[in-house]
Amino acid sequence: MWWKILLFFWIAAFSAIGIVTPVAGDLGTVGMYAQMDAAKLLPVKFTVVDRGRAATEEEGGGWLLRGRDSHDREADFRFAERPADLETAEGWLVSARYDTQFHRVEVAEVLGASPAFSFPFIPGLEERAKIIFFHVPMAWMTVIAFLVSMWYGIRYLRKKDMDDDFRSAASAGLGLLFCILGTTTGSLWAKFNWGSFWNWDPRETSIFVLLLVYGAYFALRSAIEIEEKRAALSAVYSIIAAATVPFFVFIMPRLMPGLHPGSADDSNAGPVLSSGGMDTAMRMVLYSMLAGFLVLYGWLMSIQMRLHRIKLRRAESAA
Amino acid sequence: MIRQALAVFRKDLASELRTRYAINALLMFVVVTLAVIMFALAGETLTPTALTGMLWVVMFFAAMSGLSRSFVAEEERGTTMTLQLLASPTAVYLGKLLFNLLLVAALNVFIVALFLLVMDQFVVSQFGLFWLVMLLGSLGIASATTIIAAIIARANTKGTLFPVLSFPVLLPLLMAGINATKIAVEDVRWDAVWPDLQLLGSYIVVITTVSFLLFDFVWKD
Repeated sequence: MWWKILLFFWIAAFSAIGIVTPVAGDLGTVGMYAQMDAAKLLPVKFTVVDRGRAATEEEGGGWLLRGRDSHDREADFRFAERPADLETAEGWLVSARYDTQFHRVEVAEVLGASPAFSFPFIPGLEERAKIIFFHVPMAWMTVIAFLVSMWYGIRYLRKKDMDDDFRSAASAGLGLLFCILGTTTGSLWAKFNWGSFWNWDPRETSIFVLLLVYGAYFALRSAIEIEEKRAALSAVYSIIAAATVPFFVFIMPRLMPGLHPGSADDSNAGPVLSSGGMDTAMRMVLYSMLAGFLVLYGWLMSIQMRLHRIKLRRAESAA
Repeated sequence: MIRQALAVFRKDLASELRTRYAINALLMFVVVTLAVIMFALAGETLTPTALTGMLWVVMFFAAMSGLSRSFVAEEERGTTMTLQLLASPTAVYLGKLLFNLLLVAALNVFIVALFLLVMDQFVVSQFGLFWLVMLLGSLGIASATTIIAAIIARANTKGTLFPVLSFPVLLPLLMAGINATKIAVEDVRWDAVWPDLQLLGSYIVVITTVSFLLFDFVWKD
């Protein structure tokens, strides 16, 4: 019982952290945006090096704070009004733009004082980078559920135990659920980041193939009436499909040019997990979500198994 | 065992030549599909690359309509049991694979010949490479679909299930095959096609091995 409550709070807490935690850039991104689009406001995080002094009239008035970003770059931040926690705050999270005339950062709004942690600002992704906490675990669970389904299929073929066949089908059902969720979230996100719901990026192709495999698996199951035959044939089909799935999931997205991180023509990010694209805070939330989804999958599997047993017992007592 | 497999192959070939069910239906299917394409494209000029895609579409659907025949026919005639008693599963699989291979190769030769005849814009610049890709493609299609035909022969909705089950399994082959054919048509250097040929080769090896190992479970009751 207690672990279900723990799981619920685990996923809820990390979803909340994943959604609420602000994305904050550094002075480098502010400078870069100043050259491209001077009017654009960016969230910036800095620690206070030197407490405020009033700016002169020629400098446009207001207060100046000397701050240092995570890369040890220092710059003046101009606040139009005296910030409320000026004496006590260790750092600030502000929305700001770079002022090319005075070479300082114009603060438009204070988003938070002494922020605990934030996610790195990725140009072009910004707040949209947070999809990784939900979309990536779903995509992983799709593949893991498929492999588990195949594993139980192999076990069925060896031991001819109908429980194994049921586990195989139950895992495929959960995999289909995660596959649909992953495809929908990814597709919605792609509309806002890449401009269209579907781009036939290699990873989109791979999730589409998985969707087809799951669909074919259930179409096959529903077309065979004899239970033993259904179990054996669907197990065989999942093994045959598993011969092609690794090609789509692991090989092709790395070899071919595409839009996802880690594609062949990807020069800035590389495979997200093994490169420096994410900081520790993001990694921690992502891994926690992966763990949470994994336990959730296990829990759903055990519910399905219990339900199956109850149904069997009922059928026996009715007969 | 080889002799048994050849006997199964000869049996299938003889019954096919006697009834000509698959051959007649498939040849008509190809002619009709090409006619539809010709009508749909009347007056349009298409690049050879676009026509390559169409060639593979015709090849895929022709294979999908014909290759399940070898196992479905056994089931319909009620001869599955006899075959199970008389021949070892391996021999049945190899015999059927051989028959399917012959069927799909003949079919593809016919499709390509017809395509070259009626599509003026379809010009192949490297014929050696083109036929090599066609050969590998036929091998791959035959080896992947034979076991799926054996699976669907036991199901209720045989005809519609076959392409549904085959497509995800055939997709790596289709992608590599289409890409390699495009290279053969467009006349790019040989080494550009090498990764696709490697992929086709390894696909055939993997899928044949997997089917070979799993056929026992499909065939035996």
